[in-house]
Amino acid sequence: MLLVFYLPVLYTFYLSFTEYNGLGTPEFVGVDNFAAMFGDSAFLGAVRNTMIWVVGTLVLPVGLGLLVAVLAYGFRGSGWLRLPFLVPYALSGVAVGVIWSFMLGSGGALTQALQFLNLPGTELRWLQDSPLNTVVMVIAAAWQGVGVNALLFTVGLQSIPKEPLEAARIDGATGWRLFSTITWPLLRPSTTVVVGLSIVNGLKTFDVVQAMTQGGPARSSETLALTMYRDTFVNSDYGLGSAVAIFLSVVTVGASIIYLRRQLSLSSASLGGGK
Amino acid sequence: MTPSRTGIILRVTVLALLGAIWLVPVYLLLANAGKTVGNYSGSTLWQPGSLTDLWDNLRQVATGTDIPRALANTAVYSVVAPAIAVVLGATVGFAVIVLKLRNGFLWFFVIYCGSVFPLQMLVIPLFDSYSRLGLYDSLTGMVLIYSIVCLPFSAFVMRNFFAGIAESVFEAAVVDGAKTLRIFTTIYLPMSSSALAVVFILQATWVWNDLLLGLILTQSDTTRPVMPVLTGLQSTEGGGASYTVVLAAAILVSLPTALLFLVSQRYFAKGLALGQY
Repeated sequence: MLLVFYLPVLYTFYLSFTEYNGLGTPEFVGVDNFAAMFGDSAFLGAVRNTMIWVVGTLVLPVGLGLLVAVLAYGFRGSGWLRLPFLVPYALSGVAVGVIWSFMLGSGGALTQALQFLNLPGTELRWLQDSPLNTVVMVIAAAWQGVGVNALLFTVGLQSIPKEPLEAARIDGATGWRLFSTITWPLLRPSTTVVVGLSIVNGLKTFDVVQAMTQGGPARSSETLALTMYRDTFVNSDYGLGSAVAIFLSVVTVGASIIYLRRQLSLSSASLGGGK
Repeated sequence: MTPSRTGIILRVTVLALLGAIWLVPVYLLLANAGKTVGNYSGSTLWQPGSLTDLWDNLRQVATGTDIPRALANTAVYSVVAPAIAVVLGATVGFAVIVLKLRNGFLWFFVIYCGSVFPLQMLVIPLFDSYSRLGLYDSLTGMVLIYSIVCLPFSAFVMRNFFAGIAESVFEAAVVDGAKTLRIFTTIYLPMSSSALAVVFILQATWVWNDLLLGLILTQSDTTRPVMPVLTGLQSTEGGGASYTVVLAAAILVSLPTALLFLVSQRYFAKGLALGQY
């Protein structure tokens, strides 16, 4: 295990300070790769796109997942209403990419529908123009991701004890007030899981983009994971690819540590709930 | 909980509308996978397809593309690798919890931390060493790497599960004269069959849907898993498979995991939540 997980990490770290094309021996070049990386427009574009991915993944699948879970909770037959959202989750990222590039391609289903309904937007080139292409791919991923978040929130809702809810209802709390003061604070364990997963998955986005645009056109929709893949395995610049991998790892590990620490300190500091 | 009647009607309406929107892409997928290239055009996009054309497209997937071979490869990876990971993971979990292995928690921690790094951090050295060791583009190499990537999660869940089994179970078995290996195989493994199943299902799905490792570590059609092949189909413009055939391939490739998921929904949520505590 040590060999498989830690040695590669060290080796990638080492490679990021070298010039290496996959053949021959790596040549030490100091921080050149990192300097080149921060001056590379493809990398900077990828940083921006990855940020759109993280924010988008937090807002859409998490928000909608919570909405679906809350709306479909607490009455008979509600499981059936959740089912449409789970169908896309059962598909792979690649299959989702195939479907959505079919809908969003030039003259695709969406453009057709807009034309038919005489709506504006038929001139938009969904997958060609940046940052529009990243935004629509975030939506495609959201289409897939809502179901599983709804499922996780539902499990969370089921584990909330009934007494506080009953007590609040007797005190006259209903609807939004009941949700924001009682349900939401008690749902914190689930929110922690869902938000944590979403941040990490957003940062690591690869499949959907690779399947839809391969990061193009002209690298305009690349995420960090794609930039790393292209630098290394397409352009054979292992040093630069390693530098991007290091950057991605530092951000991912950093984000999960900060997030988890904040969550842990919060839960021990305010057991009574609240913000 | 007794929400008001109008409240429920409102909720059902909102959910049904949203659910209908969610099913539109699924409809488009099914409708257009059921059209031949000739029948498929911008203007017929929203019309339903026919079963005979769908069958025709599926036949083209089976005869004209690398998908069947890739499906066979993926089937091997996503059954064998998770099985290995589950058994090894249970062994690690058992060793740490029950046998109170010295520094067990430390070992466990080391394994678990390894899984925090994004795969991107591992793939370059992996590719490099696989080429040197002759594991690149081989079935063994793929099974090996998938098992290893699946192991931390499996060990983690199994450790948590064994932690919930009373120590007296182990002690009673020892008093009865059972050897450690026997305790593991005849008591602990059967007791944890549901947890083992959850882990296996999650991991099998993950392996099935993997794109990155397949893309980097394989090349020939005798080893390449199905997701890289599907993306490849899509990007071969001109001379490649027509779009309706690609859609049919996407359906075919998704069927096994989709069915697995729909029958084991509950376990999925449980398993996903388990991984985070």
